[in-house]
Amino acid sequence: MAYQPKPPEGWVKTNLKYTKERGSVAWILHRITGLGLTAYIYVHIYALTSLTQGPKAFDDEMKLFQTPVFHVLEWLLFSLVVYHALNGMRIVIVDWANGARYHKKLLAVVYGLGVVLFIGMGILMFREPIANMFASLR
Amino acid sequence: MKVTLRIQRYNPERDSEPYYQEFIVEAGDEKERILDLLLQVKWKYDGTLTFRRSCAHGVCGSDGMRINGKNRLACSTLLRDVNYKKPIVIEPLPSIPIVKDLIVDMSDFYKKYEAVKPYLINNSPPPEHERYQSNEDAEKLFESAKCILCGCCTTSCPSSWSDENYIGPAALLKAYRFVFDTRDEAADERLDVVDTPDGAWRCHTIFNCVEACPKEINITWHISKLKKRLAEREM
Repeated sequence: MAYQPKPPEGWVKTNLKYTKERGSVAWILHRITGLGLTAYIYVHIYALTSLTQGPKAFDDEMKLFQTPVFHVLEWLLFSLVVYHALNGMRIVIVDWANGARYHKKLLAVVYGLGVVLFIGMGILMFREPIANMFASLR
Repeated sequence: MKVTLRIQRYNPERDSEPYYQEFIVEAGDEKERILDLLLQVKWKYDGTLTFRRSCAHGVCGSDGMRINGKNRLACSTLLRDVNYKKPIVIEPLPSIPIVKDLIVDMSDFYKKYEAVKPYLINNSPPPEHERYQSNEDAEKLFESAKCILCGCCTTSCPSSWSDENYIGPAALLKAYRFVFDTRDEAADERLDVVDTPDGAWRCHTIFNCVEACPKEINITWHISKLKKRLAEREM
């Protein structure tokens, strides 16, 4: 029988099966947050189209965005921005400085700083509403 | 102690799809190499099990395979390096055609390797003695020159999985080895080959190659130096 090599599995299956080390986890998160931010751009532009329907339509929409649900979503959006930005800087250091030699330490900084910024933003955003909520209980 | 190996099998003359087969083998201690266990299977239980191995000491690079989900050399991986309490999964290198069992077709890998002209090019007349290179300049090449062409890096790279034209970490590492060689005169020819969307720029610094390299070469660092050189060339 003629020699017939078996073609490899598809890249999605290979990605799922292969061991994920810290570098590849960082890359996967970078891709996911990048896709999330791209999707958000479209939502953002769509939201702005209410401007074409006059000031009232726009103000009504802005009121909707001031609801707690949208604040939480905004906070989550901030987490995408923070990770994508910080890891983007890590990639620049890996590519243009000697970051490839200490990329895991850089990643630890990305995660650490990311969590601090995320919690910090949460405090800034929700300090007042939470304080008000407790005040109303008294 | 008893250890279970779960080996991916594929016989092109009989099977339409690869399948897994389990073998229970006897291992002396944690320092036993995966290669010895594979040889035990071949010699004692199933002579048809097919895999490459030559020097068996991490020099020839022929027994690259995926062990417990990660590319490694079977001869350089000890039992203590993997979780042997559960069946050890042994598969051929990923994203590359399978010839039989754990043997893969490396033709494409070598084609890409040859594309970067992996040999010294110097058209100047030879000097009376050797082409001199200082110790400092030679040291810049030592790490990249450790490559044994096992293919663990290129077949571990998600960029290679999704782009079959990507030249891959092994070829880029070899490009570095000659581009930064002070005795070589063909740096531009090689840089032209890697300065493409399927060349150095396809490296997304995922570091799978670095994790997989059995010779502990920081391939991503070498690719970053190539990228820098490419950018400097444009300026």
